[in-house]
Amino acid sequence: MSANRLPTHTGATIDFTFNGRALKGIAGDTLASALLANGVDVVGRSFKYARPRGIFGHGAEEPNGIIQLGSGAGTVPNLKATQVELYQGLEAFSVNGWPSVDVDIMGIIGAFGRLMPPGFYYKTFMYPKKLWMTYEHFIRKAAGLGATPVKDDPDSYDRLNQHCDVLVVGAGPAGLVAAREAARTGARVIIADEQSEFGGSLLASKQSIDGLIARDWVASLVAELGAYSNVQMLPRSTVFGYYDHNFLTILERRTDHLGLTSAHQVRQRMHRVRAAQVVLATGAFERPLVFAHNDIPGVMLASSVSTYVNRYGVAPGNKLVLFTTNDNAYQTALDWHQTGRDVVAVIDTRRDPCGDMVVAVKALGIDVIAGHGVIEAQGNKRVKRALIAPINEAGTEVIGAVRVLDCDLIACSGGWSPAIHLSSHTGAKPVWDENIVGFRPGESKQQERSAGACRGTFDLAGCLAEGATAGADAANCSGHGEGSTQFPMCAVEAFEEQPQQALFLVPHSKSTSRAPSQFVDFQLDVSASAIELAVREGFESVEHVKRYTALGFGTDQGKLGNINGMAILANALNQSIAETGTTIFRPSYTPTTFGAIAGRDVNNLFDPERYTAMHRWHMEQGAEFENVGQWKRPWYFPHQGESMQDAVDREGLAVRNSVGILDATTLGKIDIQGPDAAEFISRIYSNSYLKLAPGKCRYGVMLKEDGMIFDDGVCACLGDNHYLMFTTTGGAAGVLAWLELWQQTEWPELQVYFTSVTDHWTTATVTGPNARKVIAKVCSDIDLSNEAFPFMDWRDGTVAGIKARVFRISFTGELCYEVNVPAHYGRHVWEALIAAGEEFDITPYGTETMHILRAEKGFIIVGQDTDGSMTPADMNMDWVVGKKKTFSFIGKRSLRRSDMLRENRKQLVGLKTLEAKTVLPEGAQVVFDAKQAIPMSMQGHVTSSYYSANLGHAIALAVVKGGHSRLGQIVHCPLADGHTIAAEIVSSVFYDPKGERHHV
Amino acid sequence: MSNAIKVESPLNYFHGSFNKSSASDSLFNNQVDCDLVIKEAPLSAHLNLRGDANDRNFCAAVAEVLDVSLPLQPGTYQRNGGSSIYWLGPSEWLIVQEGADPASLEAALRESLTGHISIVDVSGGQTCINLRGTAAATVLKKSSVYDFEGWDGATANSGSVVQTTFAKASAAVSNRSDGSYDLVIRRSFADYLAQWLLDAGGEFGCRIEQG
Amino acid sequence: MLLIHCPHCLEYRDEEEFSYGGEAHIVRPLEPEALNDQEWGDYLFFRTNSRGVHHEMWYHAVGCRRYFNATRNTVTYEILETYKTGTQPTIVGAKQ
Repeated sequence: MSANRLPTHTGATIDFTFNGRALKGIAGDTLASALLANGVDVVGRSFKYARPRGIFGHGAEEPNGIIQLGSGAGTVPNLKATQVELYQGLEAFSVNGWPSVDVDIMGIIGAFGRLMPPGFYYKTFMYPKKLWMTYEHFIRKAAGLGATPVKDDPDSYDRLNQHCDVLVVGAGPAGLVAAREAARTGARVIIADEQSEFGGSLLASKQSIDGLIARDWVASLVAELGAYSNVQMLPRSTVFGYYDHNFLTILERRTDHLGLTSAHQVRQRMHRVRAAQVVLATGAFERPLVFAHNDIPGVMLASSVSTYVNRYGVAPGNKLVLFTTNDNAYQTALDWHQTGRDVVAVIDTRRDPCGDMVVAVKALGIDVIAGHGVIEAQGNKRVKRALIAPINEAGTEVIGAVRVLDCDLIACSGGWSPAIHLSSHTGAKPVWDENIVGFRPGESKQQERSAGACRGTFDLAGCLAEGATAGADAANCSGHGEGSTQFPMCAVEAFEEQPQQALFLVPHSKSTSRAPSQFVDFQLDVSASAIELAVREGFESVEHVKRYTALGFGTDQGKLGNINGMAILANALNQSIAETGTTIFRPSYTPTTFGAIAGRDVNNLFDPERYTAMHRWHMEQGAEFENVGQWKRPWYFPHQGESMQDAVDREGLAVRNSVGILDATTLGKIDIQGPDAAEFISRIYSNSYLKLAPGKCRYGVMLKEDGMIFDDGVCACLGDNHYLMFTTTGGAAGVLAWLELWQQTEWPELQVYFTSVTDHWTTATVTGPNARKVIAKVCSDIDLSNEAFPFMDWRDGTVAGIKARVFRISFTGELCYEVNVPAHYGRHVWEALIAAGEEFDITPYGTETMHILRAEKGFIIVGQDTDGSMTPADMNMDWVVGKKKTFSFIGKRSLRRSDMLRENRKQLVGLKTLEAKTVLPEGAQVVFDAKQAIPMSMQGHVTSSYYSANLGHAIALAVVKGGHSRLGQIVHCPLADGHTIAAEIVSSVFYDPKGERHHV
Repeated sequence: MSNAIKVESPLNYFHGSFNKSSASDSLFNNQVDCDLVIKEAPLSAHLNLRGDANDRNFCAAVAEVLDVSLPLQPGTYQRNGGSSIYWLGPSEWLIVQEGADPASLEAALRESLTGHISIVDVSGGQTCINLRGTAAATVLKKSSVYDFEGWDGATANSGSVVQTTFAKASAAVSNRSDGSYDLVIRRSFADYLAQWLLDAGGEFGCRIEQG
Repeated sequence: MLLIHCPHCLEYRDEEEFSYGGEAHIVRPLEPEALNDQEWGDYLFFRTNSRGVHHEMWYHAVGCRRYFNATRNTVTYEILETYKTGTQPTIVGAKQ
């Protein structure tokens, strides 16, 4: 068995590799415990100086054991070895360390650490600026931030929206009893814990509760909770964010610990929880002690050493020196002693420790050296010696001779820091408490309360009592249960403890700036001297010092180093920690994969694709599709061997010479009913609908209050007090909301109802000189003659056996019938029209041809030729503004604002390139003087541009300053590639300017 | 040209997109035991009704024509046999009548209703999907932020309904007395939502039944 | 992610069902034509942008399609009340 595995600990063997090396662990191990069991000292290199680093902690606070898990498509960077459960075949790699952990080029830089003060990168690599990209490449490579997977992630992830009365965060002692108290009230309870098992600190505890060993007590409570149908237990689930209105997010790792990939199993699930009440029982992190070279592998947190011994059966060393400022850590000496390995000494900074635990340790014959500190660790890739020295009572000076203790493990404890992260996410401002030497959660900003260690209550009895109260209170506040706790107080053994010493920086015989580095933030190599230097350079705010030194910037978010760093900063500033304050914690509590955030909204489900009833037909014809909003619309229908241009040339010629057919289903359609419908519509459009008779249609433009065009379309009068409004495809939802806004909030006295019928109707547009002949073949109950059914009329009728509404409106300028049928019959009618049109070579066309044909006619597309700053006059569409309307339609007043009357407003014109075949790029800028020096005066831009097969030359629409009075002038479009295209300003109506073709 | 009139439900193409003899076999095998069954209802009349809930004559007339009382309590529906009325808003309801002709239903309502009302045939624009099985509730939780667990159970004649977001689209979700759920969804989103449901139900095993 | 009580659906619903409608209780001039450019511009472009209590419109877009008003603290995001269009808020004034 592995060197550091205790013989009492057995289990199934698990094979894994670390940096390619084959190793064995035991079921129940984390990667960190397995590495320690195998005697792997160096697990990574530090970010800046590339110093060798070993496992330091045992949970989310771990700063050194940052690994890349797996090597394939499912690889995950930046995981903490302490949180990765071991599974058969696990592959892990250090993320830091280039070219390797053991031989490290950056290590050479590390030797010159003093040359890299805070701000080193800013100061050194910023100049010359053009070299930054080169520097950055090198720095990033050297920094080793892990590798992003380069292949598609094969795993599936998802989200679950949860609602509960009480969410308990953390399943340590406080959380477990809180959940139990809440559960018995019948409240819906969710309890989540980031570890694989519930129990938190109790999993490694030797204390007993209610006469049971802690572990067994946990098991019985978990079983009890499991019996409640109103309790949902989520192990391996990290609550990583606390947002407005008690919305919290949980990352549940469902299969990571199995190391398998299966399309049908969800690897990680994000729970999006709306909780009525929250109990935060997130525990505390042990605070390391800051002394010289405290980052050498073999220096660890005292509680972590105990956890490895008690929970994982791993003794990460042979000769322990325990370094503490408090009684609590003495447990580690007791635990180590039980392994049979050597406790060299306990070094306690206090003058005269004599609490129960201290007595117990001394009783075992262990040497307790009071009033001393470990001032420096020595060793290369593993601790070899601890230098200890007497220090003064304030902990600021070394006051005696240095002694050397041979050891290979230094466990340190500077007390405990409550895990107040989630409380901080709510906006609560942490409060410094001298008694616990830490920040407590501030005044709650949400429906939450903290219990146990995260509230600064570190003794077990206190945690249990607070948890019970918090659970009952949370349930009560959510409307469940009455009064306080119901279960009897848990019985635990009590220890007499003496106060801890507040010590954030252990003095060295040399001054901080001269002493070997005393690390505060391991992950980002921030030392005590760096913080002091930042203060000397003038930084005062904790947030500025954080950014300048990178304190707390790593993926561990400073869980370990922040408090020490802030205390050192406070000291350097000669102010209290309370005055200095802390930085703000923000989500995420621990790194969260993008996969879990994306959930199922990937690949074909990334964004809904909306289909018309004819979608499959279009696919069968080999259509190329274009996204229009979420709709998939046929773009063009290429024949074998045709280019896009070939296809649209053919389609456009077919429409103007015979007949084409377009799927126009996607246009928004709103049914409008009510006695005031006409009045309402007339206020919404810039023209009047009061006199529109049943059977008639009218084109209108909608303006916002600022006078700018925001949608357009045809509105038909279906009957008395009944209208159908067509909107643009992309504008449908916005127009409906706009109508509701004005009716509900401004004109509630107008009796009118709006209902979306976009999905109900399928629209087939049959257009071209032969359109009437095609319709006539499938429709016998409408008199299709121009006299009986003129342009801008509509008729009820039967098309291919289906009741239909046929509209004579035209976006092509040709004779045109838009056939609307309920969508269930959409494909039936479409195919009937295709069959009827066969003898005329009816040609299905897509959006590209539609765009060209309408541009030939100078018809605008809102959102393409307009951009929210265009009025009807700008678009040369003054005719659509009702000058005589009695009621002030929306936007009317704005049309005579002084800015609207400016002569140099950008106005819609046609552009005809002097070189007939040259198509201007859309978006090209227009200038009047091609020879003007840069920067040129930009006079407008091209909004639409195509090659027109019908006209035999390129056409473009553009908005040009004062364009309406510039017909005939030559303008220039300088392109990005350096050459310039000249074009003549012409009328925006290129084809059939008198509009005769659609009236036939 | 054939005279036969082809009627296609919103999920028609979706059903057709599977090669039923190959990999997706089990999706259509009624013998397969699975925790989620997705079934599209047969084509029905869907009418959107607007009117004044405070107008007793209006409420009475609707009840008279449909033999179902008009639900006035937010978030509820009333049902009688194949006729259901769902509350959608304070002056808006969805009427679904199984197998009915929407035009004649609309005509019957227009005959009886007076005053400021609106009746709109939306039958072609939406479809109803039933989700049943032990995983149905979890699939709803994956799909929507609404708290469906907060509902009381449905009876044969009434239950709860909510219009809410569903994946990246929307749906009117209601419960049935047999513990299953109905989703009224828009036609153009039907393919997307069916794919979503299959994907969300994948981990439980799911099956599609055609209406 | 706000939780908003819809005064028509009579229950709390998630923010994603709603869309924001801007400041509430803005009086649209009855005779826009009678206003000069500055007066019209004030109506068109200027909003109070309150720090603290703010009355605003919300649209239950995916739910009942009704607009309603909310009184929200723009500092804490707390929604103090929601009420139907056409009615007045019960909570007013400068609250931090």
